[in-house]
Amino acid sequence: MLFNSLPFLAFLPIFMTFYWSTSGRARLWVMLVGSLVFYAWWDWRFLFLLLFSSLVDYSLGILLENEPEEAMRRRLIVISVAINLGLLGFFKYFNFFVQSTADVSTALGLHPTYNALKIVLPVGISFYVFKTMSYTIDVYRRTQKAERDLLRFTTFVVFFPELVAGPIVRASRLLPQLARDHPFSYERMVSGLTLVASGYVRKVAIADSIAPLVDIRFAHPEAHNAWSLLIGVYLYAFQIYCDFSGYSNIAIGLARILGFDFGINFDRPYFSRSFGEFWTRWHISLSSWLRDYLYISLGGNRGGTWRTYRNLMVTMLLGGLWHGASWTFVAWGGLHGLYLVTQRLIGPAYQRVIRVLRVPSVVSNAFLMLLVFHLTCFGWVFFRAHSFSNAFDVLWGIAAIRGARLADVDNKWRILKCAVLIAVMLGFEATSFLRKGQRAPEFSPAWRLAFVAACAWVVLLFGTFSGNNFIYFQF
Amino acid sequence: MSDVRRALIWFVALVAIVIAGDHVLAWVLHKVLMRSQFRYSRLYRGGNSADLIVLGDSRGVHSFYAPAIEEVTGLRAMNLSYNSMSPRIAEAILMDYVEHNRPPRMVVIEVTSSIVSGALASELQTYAGLSPRLAALYAEEHPVAAVAGRTFRLFPLNSGFFLEALHYMWQTDQDWIHRDAMPPALRTRPRNPWRLVPFADNVDALVRIVGLLHHRGIEVRLVIAPYGPSNVPVNVTAYAALITRRAQTPVWNYVGAVTDPDEFADQVHLNERGSRVFLRMLQRDGAFGMTSPPGSMTPFHSHPHGGSQ
Repeated sequence: MLFNSLPFLAFLPIFMTFYWSTSGRARLWVMLVGSLVFYAWWDWRFLFLLLFSSLVDYSLGILLENEPEEAMRRRLIVISVAINLGLLGFFKYFNFFVQSTADVSTALGLHPTYNALKIVLPVGISFYVFKTMSYTIDVYRRTQKAERDLLRFTTFVVFFPELVAGPIVRASRLLPQLARDHPFSYERMVSGLTLVASGYVRKVAIADSIAPLVDIRFAHPEAHNAWSLLIGVYLYAFQIYCDFSGYSNIAIGLARILGFDFGINFDRPYFSRSFGEFWTRWHISLSSWLRDYLYISLGGNRGGTWRTYRNLMVTMLLGGLWHGASWTFVAWGGLHGLYLVTQRLIGPAYQRVIRVLRVPSVVSNAFLMLLVFHLTCFGWVFFRAHSFSNAFDVLWGIAAIRGARLADVDNKWRILKCAVLIAVMLGFEATSFLRKGQRAPEFSPAWRLAFVAACAWVVLLFGTFSGNNFIYFQF
Repeated sequence: MSDVRRALIWFVALVAIVIAGDHVLAWVLHKVLMRSQFRYSRLYRGGNSADLIVLGDSRGVHSFYAPAIEEVTGLRAMNLSYNSMSPRIAEAILMDYVEHNRPPRMVVIEVTSSIVSGALASELQTYAGLSPRLAALYAEEHPVAAVAGRTFRLFPLNSGFFLEALHYMWQTDQDWIHRDAMPPALRTRPRNPWRLVPFADNVDALVRIVGLLHHRGIEVRLVIAPYGPSNVPVNVTAYAALITRRAQTPVWNYVGAVTDPDEFADQVHLNERGSRVFLRMLQRDGAFGMTSPPGSMTPFHSHPHGGSQ
């Protein structure tokens, strides 16, 4: 079920009615059944996979906690990771690895025969596998107590706001919240609805309006001039941001209305002055997951400079692969790895130059923000392109900027509409950013009333109602 | 006061503000829409006195460049074509035009628009409040959105048409046309043979339009404008014959009349230069003549440079 679909608009009030009219275990049952209905709307057969994953990690969590022997515990955690990664590997990467192996064999002069399997990618598998895997790792590290209540644990895995596209809310945050009832709160309802409204504006009015403009440019880059392609890349940077941060806002807002706190998943990433900062602001639940369970497990920055660089590269390459079974995603991750390494290499020298030349911090910060944004956009070309040749077609098309005329760009008014909406959104973000990093103050209910009403008008006037999928569903 | 009661009051206030704001904003924006120089705002504002009206899809837009028609013929021309406009939609537009404005002396229809499905229907909502015909077409294609459009007044203004109307607030839209020549990549891209496959209801609408115009004493020209040199549909002769037979009116077939790729914007659309060349051909062949009785023509016009007669 999509947040931007009519079935969801019918589902939500029914779910809310049952949710608020129950308490204790009955409410957990409502959450579980509601979440399963939400998921089954897409394909009920994959409920079994979801429940299997929950049951395996529930059992392994208890075994891990009960087991005193370190060697046995190690074996158990290996089993948990193997099962989780096995599920992910089969459903998401099987054909990719088979195809890649065949390509390498062909390049070596061998001519293998292989059969790709018709595998349907279960929606949200990357998210719930990471969630359950982090649970067992935390239990193994003894930073998380094993959950003994199967109902509560399964509800933790399948809770619908974050089930199919995150944010990846870890057990340490969500399980304690599931252990108690949340009474209805006026403040939570109003602030949650504000987040939901802003999420719909981002998704329906901005991301979905941008989508066709980007699609035609990446489908036929040869038919577009350099300006048109450049605009397409900039637009994609905001499409993916608004699409995913919109989904996150809706998910976090819905959870807040229900009494849960998911934390934040995006924190004005395009105002980042370094790639280190970017990854503390973009898809925070994934980047912190990769940091805690991959980068630190690899040794983090404890083994010296070169090991740190290696660990960064490995983390980002695998982070890229997590997004999709394609080498273009790996290249995107690799680019970000290179950005992070380069930043560590030349960052101190840059700071010395800035100090010696007495460049005002506002100028330096603006320069760094623009640089990080444009390098991020360069990476987005690989992320969006369906192949390397497609990515290079776009990049070569942009490189031929001489002679191209801005006046020849098609759909100028649709582009301008998107640009205005993006500017307003960035204006809101800049306002809070200029508060020296402080979070936005708690706004009054009257202010929130005006904001939600304005969001409704923006969606009515500028929304795209074609029921577009959220981009991160495919991951 | 309990949290539930406060939330209910807040929610009711929200709904009231959303609906009130929706109506007020929509009223203001509708005033703006009707002041625009965009072709459909002009149509529904009324007071137009064009001698010649053009109907068609994007090929109608690009083949019949209104300023060039006026230069070539001396007639006041208004092009009501739009991308993806099918004859079903054109029928409603034309009937609305003759209701709100002085009827034209001639209507030119680019008939390959019969292969277009109802893609433009989603845009019609913007003017649906002014036209029961457009409202009915829109409701047929988008029943849920039509209900939403009656509930929320801003929703019908959520369209490319409205954005275009803003763009043409103080300038005419009649001089918009592609001016660049076809990019080299499009000239050399291999194309498979393809056929014109009309939708039955579009052909029916075309027949009704022609009947209406004949009934009103308005001259009608059914035209197939040029396609790009390597993109001529293989069945154009049969297609023209079908339309001629069904509409009982000859089709002026210029499908291969323009062969210079520099006179096309792509393989489907002429550019300004190509449109001027094409319009001079039509004028030379008497297509814009008001006195030529339809019966005096051959079943469908054969141009000396025609590519696929």
